[in-house]
Amino acid sequence: MIWQQLANGIAVGSVYALISLGLTMVYGILRILHVAHAGIYTLGAYVGLVAFRLVDHFWLSLVAGMVGAAVAGYLVERLLYMPILHMPRIAPLIVSIGLFTAMEEAFRIAAGPHTLVYNAKVGLGELTIGGFRLTETQVLILLVTFLILLFLWLFLTRTKMGLAMRACALDTETASTFGVNVNAVIAVNFIIGSFMAGAAGVLIGVYDNQVWPTMGSIPAYKALAIVVLGGLGNIPGTVLASLIVGLAETFFIGVLSVPFPRDAIAFIAMILVLMFRPYGLLGKA
Amino acid sequence: MGKHACWSLCLLAGVLMVFSNVGPTAAQETLKIGFFAPITGPAAADGMSAKNAVELAVQEVNAGGGIKGKKVELIVYDDRLKAEEAVAIANKLIEKDKVVGVVSGSYSGPTRVVAPILQKAGMPMVAGYAVHPDVTWNPNTKTPNDFIFRNGFLGEIEGAAAAEFAVKDLKAKRMAIIAMDNDFGRSISAGFADRAEKLGATILTKQMYKFPGEKDFRPYLTTIKEGNPDVIFAAGYYNEAASIVRQAKELGIKSQILGEEGFDSPKFLEIAGEAAEGVIIATNLDRDDPRPVVQNFLKNYRAAYGHDADMVGASSYDAFMILADAIKKAGTDPKAIQKALLETKDYDGLTGKISRFVQGEVVKPVQIQIVKEGKFRRKAIIDNPEIITPPKKS
Amino acid sequence: MSGYLVTILITISIYAMLAHSLNIITGHAGQISLGHAAFFGIGAYAAGLLYTKAGLPFWLDVPLAAVMAGIVGAILGIPCLRVRDDFLAITTMGIGFVVEAVFLYIPFFGGAMGIGGINLPSWFGREMTKGEYFILILAVLALLLLLDYRLGRSWIGLAWASIREDEQAASAMSVHVVRFKVLAFVLGSALAGLAGGFYAHFLTFIMPQNFGFGQSILILCMVVFGGIGTRWGPLVGAALLGILPEISRPIMEYRTLLYGLLLVGMMRFQPSGLLGEDSLVVKSFIKGLSRLRQGS
Repeated sequence: MIWQQLANGIAVGSVYALISLGLTMVYGILRILHVAHAGIYTLGAYVGLVAFRLVDHFWLSLVAGMVGAAVAGYLVERLLYMPILHMPRIAPLIVSIGLFTAMEEAFRIAAGPHTLVYNAKVGLGELTIGGFRLTETQVLILLVTFLILLFLWLFLTRTKMGLAMRACALDTETASTFGVNVNAVIAVNFIIGSFMAGAAGVLIGVYDNQVWPTMGSIPAYKALAIVVLGGLGNIPGTVLASLIVGLAETFFIGVLSVPFPRDAIAFIAMILVLMFRPYGLLGKA
Repeated sequence: MGKHACWSLCLLAGVLMVFSNVGPTAAQETLKIGFFAPITGPAAADGMSAKNAVELAVQEVNAGGGIKGKKVELIVYDDRLKAEEAVAIANKLIEKDKVVGVVSGSYSGPTRVVAPILQKAGMPMVAGYAVHPDVTWNPNTKTPNDFIFRNGFLGEIEGAAAAEFAVKDLKAKRMAIIAMDNDFGRSISAGFADRAEKLGATILTKQMYKFPGEKDFRPYLTTIKEGNPDVIFAAGYYNEAASIVRQAKELGIKSQILGEEGFDSPKFLEIAGEAAEGVIIATNLDRDDPRPVVQNFLKNYRAAYGHDADMVGASSYDAFMILADAIKKAGTDPKAIQKALLETKDYDGLTGKISRFVQGEVVKPVQIQIVKEGKFRRKAIIDNPEIITPPKKS
Repeated sequence: MSGYLVTILITISIYAMLAHSLNIITGHAGQISLGHAAFFGIGAYAAGLLYTKAGLPFWLDVPLAAVMAGIVGAILGIPCLRVRDDFLAITTMGIGFVVEAVFLYIPFFGGAMGIGGINLPSWFGREMTKGEYFILILAVLALLLLLDYRLGRSWIGLAWASIREDEQAASAMSVHVVRFKVLAFVLGSALAGLAGGFYAHFLTFIMPQNFGFGQSILILCMVVFGGIGTRWGPLVGAALLGILPEISRPIMEYRTLLYGLLLVGMMRFQPSGLLGEDSLVVKSFIKGLSRLRQGS
């Protein structure tokens, strides 16, 4: 049973990682808490679903969801965040919250308040090792997450743009004096982050077989707790924190039957960690 | 002389026109009935379902000539599932709209706020499916809200009926319970556990999940699977129900799943897909009920809205009809309507035959339905008075 | 006065008090709090429990509720305020979630069923009418505004202003930054608790869902809309956003959408709120006035 719970926890944690990475990357460069990122996540799920209904091919719909989310992320960055970067920190935060609220409502009005079914045939099959059974969708999640994280790691460490991004995350001003096109970096940053959020949306849509307008509400807050837990702007920290939260949730509610809401666990973990490590698990001052 | 006559004629014409308008206007007076539901907000799906069903009911009543010759006008309010909105709505219905009665198509939260306000004003209300005990019972004065009536089942009763079926019909001895952590989930799982243990069965695990919003039940189900129960009693609304049923199948769980009225929705069948086959639920809508009131409702709802009706819609429809029936019998005086409702005997409702009301709660059989070939079909009916009679509070 | 109208007025005035309390934290001390509804809830539950379980009358349980909310504000504020801006926003959000969870899960607080039977206060031997309750709240609100005015002119107000403008400079001028931040936090929490007490007695029962993240955002919106840090801004924000559900019943479907877009629009184009500096409304008002004066 423990192994099954482990699989449950890692699957959930992987999706959290895909969402939270975009958030931490945006914070790393722009120092904005991009709450609307969860709206992009939901958009990815809906776009993927629409694509699936049109072409009846899961992998294409996954790509569609990711691309749709990436485009939306880019638009949000250009039209909403860039013009208000000079304002005090509360401004982008409120814009983000307002945008997120508006997006959820837009989804509800456009697609209806009911949950929609994402009944995709993934075609991967289950994996059973001894008594340990990875369901088909769990295999899918682990595979896609692994591929995306691999891509991200290669991009950040092996490409020029990746190097530019890491430089901007350290210090935007200095980076620009070295000839880095900061605007381009910010755009790419958003695009990649949104790409991953879109993937997360499609994956959860298939994992839970449900897409609904407020599916981003909980990931919105939870992802924030996760990125703080891991260390704002710290990519490995975010991945670590995501897995910890995924596993903690699974064990607390499944094994220990603690009647405490699953979603509070991320925050409790965050508050506990902050007391001893004020910059998160792997964050630095 | 000419001008004079001209003016007099015009005046006469004008007077005649005014009076000719007064005539038909008087006949256009309508019978106002209030209705509220969470039409937008987190419970919009159920709110719309309730609204659709009650509007259908109003159309039917009006097509049949209205109530006592007057057309029914439904005053619809959206409570957005918020208590403050509900308070404002209750006051509006009483003072601004001056309705003769109210139907609740909403959850316990708003209904519970509205009930004491209407009770104080002596305005009758029939609640479709809100489950909280405080809707019909005032916990401070320890008296019933005798202007408030509830069409749906109390959680304890539905749970007890499900347990009765599980032990007597399914011969289950070992059971696991998983329910949502709200008033309904707690009361129905308590009702189930009490009755099951009374009949000699064992409850292996009792797990409560966060509601609303939980989508991933694999952690819970993995633990339940360990115990290998005969029956899993699951409580949830259609989203949770569908997820539980699907994920149970994914994880290879073979135990029989027993659900409740929250499962009673075409959305459950749609989202759960093949995994719903064989699931049994306790509810109040019997699709195989041959009575025309049931079959016509199912047919008309589908024709009007393009998808099948659910428990929420059926319960709200029935609540409206119960109120309309009382008005038909007693007129528009609230006290008379209340008296008619209190004296309800063997009312042939859509969601079952109501023997009578006990402190505002129905006494009617619990329907056990099974999913066969993707549709809900009758499996059994629990009408043991010991189980279905609500306890009298004092 | 029609019961319906009074209900609306009471709702708006409670929100005005609540918005005002957040304004102290966000506007005066410049700290972002995304969990303010938690203190609103603590006040409401404290008043409700003291009334139903301990049998205390309204006139005692509401002030006590404010005190309790303030104490919790102090306990939570002290560690919180040592962290940076963004951490504070998230931490306050976390506090909001945890507090809501406590109300939901610990049976003492009534769980999801909440607490019922919290009646309107009585005086002169009978229960207050809604109209009288409204007057009471209005009086308290007026008192608070007066206090706000005096405070703004006092050394506390100056200290807050300096912290808001530039925290590091203020601390360099030996303003004890943390102490004043905590003070703002405690005052804001206590006031929110006071509003919560009034709220509990008005609704007559409370549920954990009334005090969640959505509520925190609503309060923040009122403050932002009206103008963070202005004296009357939060009240205007509360009044306008409180009226919105009523006049927009015809456009029920789109209400929340408009709401979100309003926030986006406001921050994008009018970040200091309706009554802040730079405000179009204020500017056109002044322009209109001066034109009138020229015309005569």
